[in-house]
Amino acid sequence: MASCKATDAVYHVDPPPAAKKLRELFYCAHMNHSHIAHFYALAAPDFVLGPMSDPAQRNILGVVAKVGLQIGGEVIKHRAYAQSIQAVIGGKATHPVCGLPGGMSKAITEEERKDFEEKAKSLVEFAKYSLKLFNDLVLGNKEYLSIITGPVYTMKSYYMGLVDANNKVNFYDGTLRLVDPDGKEVAKFKPSEYLDYIAEHVEPWTYLKFPFLKKVGWKGFVEGKDSGVYRVSPLARLNAADGMATPLAQAEYERMYKTLGGKPVHATLAFHWARLIELVYAAERLLELCQDKEITSPNVRTIPTAKPDEGVGVVEAPRGVLIHHYKTDDKGIVQKVNLIVATAHNYPAMNMSIKKAAQGLIKKGQTVSEGLLNMVEMAFRAYDPCMACATHNLPGKMPLEVVIYDSRGDIIQRLSR
Amino acid sequence: MGLGNTILSDDGVGCRVAMALKDRLNSPDVDIMEASIAGLDFLDVLTGYDRTIIIDAIQTEKGTPGQIYRFGPDILASTRHAGTPHDVNLATALELGKRLNLNLPRRIIIFAIEVKDVTSFSEECTPEVMKAIPACVRMVLQELKEDRT
Repeated sequence: MASCKATDAVYHVDPPPAAKKLRELFYCAHMNHSHIAHFYALAAPDFVLGPMSDPAQRNILGVVAKVGLQIGGEVIKHRAYAQSIQAVIGGKATHPVCGLPGGMSKAITEEERKDFEEKAKSLVEFAKYSLKLFNDLVLGNKEYLSIITGPVYTMKSYYMGLVDANNKVNFYDGTLRLVDPDGKEVAKFKPSEYLDYIAEHVEPWTYLKFPFLKKVGWKGFVEGKDSGVYRVSPLARLNAADGMATPLAQAEYERMYKTLGGKPVHATLAFHWARLIELVYAAERLLELCQDKEITSPNVRTIPTAKPDEGVGVVEAPRGVLIHHYKTDDKGIVQKVNLIVATAHNYPAMNMSIKKAAQGLIKKGQTVSEGLLNMVEMAFRAYDPCMACATHNLPGKMPLEVVIYDSRGDIIQRLSR
Repeated sequence: MGLGNTILSDDGVGCRVAMALKDRLNSPDVDIMEASIAGLDFLDVLTGYDRTIIIDAIQTEKGTPGQIYRFGPDILASTRHAGTPHDVNLATALELGKRLNLNLPRRIIIFAIEVKDVTSFSEECTPEVMKAIPACVRMVLQELKEDRT
């Protein structure tokens, strides 16, 4: 979707309202499927089974065994509903082919709209249920709540997210808003201005870059207002916004901040709670769009007429802000591409969160159990990272080098490809 | 169902076998798919089919590129709990589908082709792996033939 919007900008074309709505509808379905999969397959095992539980059980199979087969079936059903909506609009759910500069490749029929509407109603109920499950199993457990809010998983940073004209969370469109670690707005800018606000630091030991706030500067892997480290994510979106644009999600938004002591929340594990509040929003917004009179309009494309040159497209990917920036020749052939994906934005913070968890959990002389290591991993998993998307690998091959040192620091073996 | 990414050299060999099968097989009771999917998406795609043959790339410790293996999903059971930070794997997805009583294929056979290069951007497989494609097509056709008798 970021690339669709970037190509609109490259061709200087504004899609008709129905195309924008159809894209947003598609995108809300995508958010539904991604957030459902992350919560139930990747986050829930740590909380439903417990962070120190047997690793053989600590997975989606264990979650289903504990919450019941019927719930497991509902997870698969609703994830499939979201995928099927994407498949109808996009030709296929994964790698869809519906986006064109200036709009969409086809409109939807009234029959398809009705089918989407029924699925969206069911998705709203399922999102509500998922949040209830989180309330009962996680928030109702004092030990888990103290883990979530404890210092080991807390990191003070800036937050960035896409907001609409009312400063409410929006996944598809809007302006980028930045808030400082005290929750105060420090910048609000158009996606096309991102290079004025974001720069990237490079370290020799990784293929990923470290984005930071240009005006604050790169001060290393440190927390706080003087450090340019910022985060994107479901929680970052909620921290950067003034609320949610749908009623049920807004009520849940208010409840989360009331429970956790106000805005902003710096608890990395609260990403999971924020993700479920967003699931409610994604389902409610999906339903709103399915009931929009304009959604079946056949007018879903503005044919581009201007000469293509350069454009930026930004959306909120499930795991945070996604920036696509293309420069083309006058035939529209891409000459230069810059992508900053959510995992890249979060890369400095992810390193810091893992280090903090490791230092807080592993004490000298203590046996390092598998459960303890899992609790370190929980700091990483909260970000729902996609390392492959975030890696910059220009040679097209991985020039990997492994250097093995002995206890004195002398190199004993060097392997390279 | 041929799996893989056809712009990552040998990774796309499963899709290439599926493409070749389309020229050799025209049967109303058989669907041939090329898919670049993983994790829970398998459940959406496989549900409703009676039997499935999956063709994919594999890298084993001592394998020779182009070597073809035939096995059932049970052999992947030991990978069932090896989580990824982003999705579940094939073995976990199939086990979940089984426990949820989804209408999954009652028989799944996997043909895995030992590959050499899955990191270079290329729309072609390496020569050794390319040579394995017709052999794998013959093995799949034989599998279908035996399955019907």
